[in-house]
Amino acid sequence: MRPYPLHGTETMEKLKVGGLRQSLELCQFDLRGPEPSEGILANVSRILASEKSNIAFLTYRATKDKRCQLSFCLNQDQCSRASKILNQGLHLPPVWEMKSREHVGMITVFPHHSALVILGVVLVSWGAESIPVYGIATSLSAISFITDYQIMDKAVEAVQDSLQLPGNRAPTKPELHYYQSEFKKRDKA
Amino acid sequence: METIAVYWEKPIKTYGFQTVMDLALVEFSYPLKEIASLGKILSQDALQKVKTEFIVVQEVGETISLTLCLSEKECRDFRVSVAEGPGSAPCEYTYPVGIIYFHGPHFGDRYGIADATFSTLSEGGIEIVASGCSASSVFVVLAQDDVARAENVLTHTFEVAK
Repeated sequence: MRPYPLHGTETMEKLKVGGLRQSLELCQFDLRGPEPSEGILANVSRILASEKSNIAFLTYRATKDKRCQLSFCLNQDQCSRASKILNQGLHLPPVWEMKSREHVGMITVFPHHSALVILGVVLVSWGAESIPVYGIATSLSAISFITDYQIMDKAVEAVQDSLQLPGNRAPTKPELHYYQSEFKKRDKA
Repeated sequence: METIAVYWEKPIKTYGFQTVMDLALVEFSYPLKEIASLGKILSQDALQKVKTEFIVVQEVGETISLTLCLSEKECRDFRVSVAEGPGSAPCEYTYPVGIIYFHGPHFGDRYGIADATFSTLSEGGIEIVASGCSASSVFVVLAQDDVARAENVLTHTFEVAK
């Protein structure tokens, strides 16, 4: 039995998931080039930490053909600053390229019992609607997809034909934007 | 609405490190315009029971590259299924690899977690094969022989909550 619609008119049971969560507006950076990357992951994360930038999403791979690619997302309001400090601080070799894409968003499906099945379902749904996929990563119990921020509602709607939320609960949207302060709690004394 | 939060520990607390060994890292590319076909391949009945701890997908020009970790047996099933798809590049395999993963309080909302992880591994001379961080989790794929050493150095950077 296939638990979700795969071929147009087939009527099937939806795949049950715990929920869908949309992110705030993000920007995405892609760095790629030949190895050795000389600690590209450590360098990028150090620079971003020094700017107190939270990395909302990150993927990295080093391939057998000696190339590596790092992709990560930050809050959209940090895009210009991050671009500037990365250009200044990274000193990438000329053969490396860094691209950025503004106004993306992350849709997270949780929990996943089979990430591969959810991945397949979402790709079928989004492919049919020409919704772009800019990155995907699994976490402990969820799978997150990066797409354009302005079509996040459409992207969620597209998968709702295949995914069943508990009690028909609506996808959650963020209401709070967290910043980590530099201020530390003073001792009462 | 904006909320300013103060959350900082030194060392950073985690709920503990988990490792998975004897995995194969599978990588393949697929045309971006054919992602619906890729979705159908991944949704096949034959792959319904395939469990994977780690998936990352990256956009590479006109293709997407999919990287995942599977057990040796599941790797064979996966290879057969993907080979039947239109336009897919041959899978590449790296074996054996291991995963170390961990999560912690508010990891998704705080800066400095990736820095603490990747700087520690870099200073330890440990080469990262692949990584994926989202929500509150950090997943790192390493050559299997490096996993125990990675856990050791990370234990000195992070504090496992009791």
